[in-house]
Amino acid sequence: MASITVSGLGKEYVRGTSAVADLNLEVAEGEFLTLLGPSGCGKSTTLRMLAGLETPTSGEIRFNGRVVNDLTPAERNIAMVFQNYALYPHMSVRENIEYPLKKRGVDRAERRRRSAAVAQLLQIEPLLDRKPRNLSGGQQQRVALGRALIREPEVFLLDEPLSNLDAKLRSYMRAELIELHRRVRATMVYVTHDQLEAMTMSDRIAIFDGGRLQQVGTPDEVYNHPANRTVAAFIGTPAMNFLDGEIAPEGGAPVVRSGSIAIPIEAGRTGASLGRRVAIGLRAEAIRITEGGVPARIEIVEPTGHEAIVTVSVDGRRLVTRTAPDSGFRVGDSVGLGFDARRLHLFDAATGDTLG
Amino acid sequence: MRAVVRHGGDLVRQVLTWALVLALSFPLFWLISTALRPDTELFVRPPHLLPRTYTVDNFSKLLFETPFLTYFRNSAIVAISTTAFVIVIAVFAAYSLSRFRGRFSAVVERMILITYLLPSVVIFLPIYLMLSRMGLANSLPGLVVAYTTFALPFAIWLLRSFVDSVPVEIELAAMVDGASRLGAFVDVVLPQLLPGIISTALFTAILSWNEYLYALILTNSDAVKTLPPGVMTLLTSSYHIEWGLLMAASVMMSAPVILAFAFLQKHLTRGFGAGAVKG
Ligand SMILES: Nc1ncnc2c1ncn2[C@@H]1O[C@H](COP(=O)(O)OP(=O)(O)OP(=O)(O)O)[C@@H](O)[C@H]1O
Ligand SMILES: [Mg+2]
Repeated sequence: MASITVSGLGKEYVRGTSAVADLNLEVAEGEFLTLLGPSGCGKSTTLRMLAGLETPTSGEIRFNGRVVNDLTPAERNIAMVFQNYALYPHMSVRENIEYPLKKRGVDRAERRRRSAAVAQLLQIEPLLDRKPRNLSGGQQQRVALGRALIREPEVFLLDEPLSNLDAKLRSYMRAELIELHRRVRATMVYVTHDQLEAMTMSDRIAIFDGGRLQQVGTPDEVYNHPANRTVAAFIGTPAMNFLDGEIAPEGGAPVVRSGSIAIPIEAGRTGASLGRRVAIGLRAEAIRITEGGVPARIEIVEPTGHEAIVTVSVDGRRLVTRTAPDSGFRVGDSVGLGFDARRLHLFDAATGDTLG
Repeated sequence: MRAVVRHGGDLVRQVLTWALVLALSFPLFWLISTALRPDTELFVRPPHLLPRTYTVDNFSKLLFETPFLTYFRNSAIVAISTTAFVIVIAVFAAYSLSRFRGRFSAVVERMILITYLLPSVVIFLPIYLMLSRMGLANSLPGLVVAYTTFALPFAIWLLRSFVDSVPVEIELAAMVDGASRLGAFVDVVLPQLLPGIISTALFTAILSWNEYLYALILTNSDAVKTLPPGVMTLLTSSYHIEWGLLMAASVMMSAPVILAFAFLQKHLTRGFGAGAVKG
């Protein structure tokens, strides 16, 4: 197993436009790190550079402190799972799984022994003699995993391995992968644009946007302490509500004000200097529908079974909140809103950086 | 009611199909039938569908009294060499065009296609001059070079669509799994190209086997003649046309092509199909 250190890594496919820019990242030995971000933000590019399938334009990649920039994919001793699984169509499942061993000159008896062990681990023993095209998506996905697991590679790289599966299979395979990681304790770098996958599986999450790393942190950190507005907007369902606001004094204590909404600022928040223009970030659970409070009107009610997502409007601006499923709100009802000051996020209006 | 109609339709289709098959295969049948009858039976009226007496005289005369076997050998050498060259060059060219996209890829592609569109009579003179300057006129290698240039554009174009349809990820996966770039190509790309390679090989071999014009112009001694001009020489060198001999020669010429088709037909249809649907 290896630790990974990435410093100053950049990739320009076309001169002048960075797919990945100035990336600095550490992955600890045995860690499950997820690269998360919207489509086109450079996740796959980063992963391919780690794999040696793409040459960096700048920067360094180290495995266990050793620079691997000039090593071929084969020499890096990594295993990779591709989004479309990339199984070899003309080979049987067994041949697919044994291929990495064959390429490394492992003898036949030993290959058989290890492919049997991997097949057992992934419960694909009955499929060993089939061709990939005769497998379901979930089965193909396991075979791809099996091909990665059969060696003891330094690093596992997984590029959206679950995105081609249906929702039910996806949540099942998610649990399987977590279990697998717990068992093999391998360093894994996992790419996804699905924040639920990232939140549930990762030790830490690296959030990308526009080729730049925005934040690295545990699921709890990126959810509760986003580094900037981009991260805050990307993490969480329903998405965080944003309002333009200004820090103003009210009765001696500072509040952040936005139209009819005024939320007190807790003591000790140094970034909130009086008069500063800010973006207010409120997650759905920081907004309560109450008696009194800021007057609002119910616009949309979306029951999901265990809760209801309720969209309200406050002087023309929409906010999303959540309530119990049986709270009985109807579209058009006049209600009041309360805000949880402890869950208030403030961002610089211009840069989007989080204000402490 | 529906079933009856469907059966009726089936019957009509069956009859039509068989009629067509019979009509198309009659010349072939007549060819074989003529090759197997003695000269005396050639012009009897009304003609016999089957020979009254069977003879292999035409074949033995062809094989032992004419340079036919030399022509046959030459044709085989040229066809096999041309096919080998074309396949090797076209596979690598198609791979490069598909995988290494550069600024000039589109230009190169268009130029290859334009080469294919030029009628062979137009490029005959330059090819003849180039070959004689290289000392390859009147030689089998000269023919191989000429045929390779004819077959390559189409071969590249056909194989290119096959390479395009092989996902690049499986190559990357093979490289991650420990293969070199060439190793990945051999292990996982080449097997996917097999139907395309078989189609291309058949196309090239048949083109080379049947080519007449260039063979006629580029060769003039019996030692290096191929079948099409060679058989033509046999035909015209005597005072009357020896039909029996000609038919025997035609049978011998067609046999390899028919056999190749029979054995590889499955791949051929699959190959052309795959080449066609992939844009
Ligand atoms: N081979 C390439 N040539 C040119 N540009 C590329 C190439 N591969 C990726 N890009 C560009 O680089 C940027 C990052 O692409 P990348 O594939 O890393 O995104 P991603 O985060 O994996 O997105 P997705 O979630 O859609 O897979 C994109 O703008 C993309 O268009
Ligand atoms: Mg990607």
